[in-house]
Amino acid sequence: MKFGNLVIAGIVTGSIYAVFAVCVSVWYRVSNILNLAVGDFAMVGALGVDNLYRVRGLPLPAAIITTLAVVAVFAYAYDIVVLRIAQDGPRRAEGIVVTFFFTFALSFFIDGVAKMLFGTDVHAAPALWNGQALSVANLHIERAGILVLGCAVIIGGMFWLYIRYTLGGKALEACGENPIGARIAGIDTRRYRRLIFVGTAVIAALFGIVESPITGYTYLSGATISLTGFLAAAYGGFRKPGRALLAGLFIGILEALLGGYVSAEYGDTVMYAILAALVLAWPRGLGFESAVSG
Amino acid sequence: MTRVALAVKGLSVSYGNVVAVHDATFTVAEGEACAITGPNGNGKSSILMGVTGMVRRRGGVEVFGAPAPNADVRWIARHGLTLVPERRQLYPGLSAADNILLGCYCWTKSIAKARRSDPFSRAVELFPELKPHLKQAAGTLSGGQQQMVAIARGLASDPKILAVDEPCLGLAEAIARRVYDVLARIHELGTTLIVVEEAPKRALTLCDRRVEVRNGVAGGR
Repeated sequence: MKFGNLVIAGIVTGSIYAVFAVCVSVWYRVSNILNLAVGDFAMVGALGVDNLYRVRGLPLPAAIITTLAVVAVFAYAYDIVVLRIAQDGPRRAEGIVVTFFFTFALSFFIDGVAKMLFGTDVHAAPALWNGQALSVANLHIERAGILVLGCAVIIGGMFWLYIRYTLGGKALEACGENPIGARIAGIDTRRYRRLIFVGTAVIAALFGIVESPITGYTYLSGATISLTGFLAAAYGGFRKPGRALLAGLFIGILEALLGGYVSAEYGDTVMYAILAALVLAWPRGLGFESAVSG
Repeated sequence: MTRVALAVKGLSVSYGNVVAVHDATFTVAEGEACAITGPNGNGKSSILMGVTGMVRRRGGVEVFGAPAPNADVRWIARHGLTLVPERRQLYPGLSAADNILLGCYCWTKSIAKARRSDPFSRAVELFPELKPHLKQAAGTLSGGQQQMVAIARGLASDPKILAVDEPCLGLAEAIARRVYDVLARIHELGTTLIVVEEAPKRALTLCDRRVEVRNGVAGGR
């Protein structure tokens, strides 16, 4: 049953990576910017709720709503102040500067502020569903894990429905397919960039809140999540959310199996070696070349 | 008296230090078919890009008497002027039907309303040869079919003025004739047409009048 339990743990972690990979891919399609700060929003969600609830004594629902609202307002302000000037202004930045720099800088900024506000210890938002892990035929799953999976399925499903069945969703796809063609049809690509940036920041924060009781977060946890989401998104060439989702799940399961069978200490090292080997073996198949060439 | 559909006054378009269009002034009357002709690289497409707000311009543009803000494509589309651009600018991964449907985006955000609308139905019906390919990804269609999808997307926006940039570029002669037949039909149905063409001969089979562009300077004929 060890294998089954490791796969379940891997699916839970992988579903988070998958959601983050989809967030990175979808926003990249719209903005041509890679969001390297998406994991930091998760960290802010977890540590923000912990701080408001445990330290400042707010009721849990109020702590969650306040944290999500702060994340949304901050992401909106960052788009209006920084990204708008970087991408839309008369002296717009081009190329790798805009692709990486602005979200990389944002990640460091959020980490620095989080260190000041929340300290350096490991914290977690309070569990939203208390009790022992659920067991069926020797297979165990944490209650928080079920919530994570549930959130992933609901958010993924809603997003799929939005893309498949609404004109707004198709317009979002059009922005990624051809920004010039989208403008010609009267689609406001900048509005979609803002909408998706704020939306993915809130989704990331929500996942941080739900997942943190399993792993615990420090002010530096966001970078690791961002890196794994970024890698999974890379497997879809940053432009294919479906493939990024599968890659996220794959990485989560691989990580759990390596941790369980190879070494808890060196599991990550072996995992990144395997991922690098896959990229070397099939760069085109994994979408890397299309990502580099645009 | 015929209304002025489009009035362009002193339009200039520059890319950095390069002036592509200098001080272009012309009008297009409602119901007219007007050709913008001239050799390649002389600024024909830049005139349309400036007029439709795809690039910033100097000078004035009025659509049915309303002054158009600078570089605001959505305003232009909502006021009835739609561009069918050079090289089509489709969404290659989306189906042909979705490409056409997105033409409706400038007047509705409801997919059900767009699907049931007259402009969408008319746009699809004008190209019966597209019917078997509507579910196919636009990027996999032939050049002629892609041009038809681009024109249909333009029509789905319910335009009063349709500006078509080099509609026959890279198409076989038979397909080019078919595209021109459809443009003639669109004009018959009452839409004002602006057609950018390198070859005046072909354009004048359809258009009543032409604006000749040489070295970024426009002159009426």
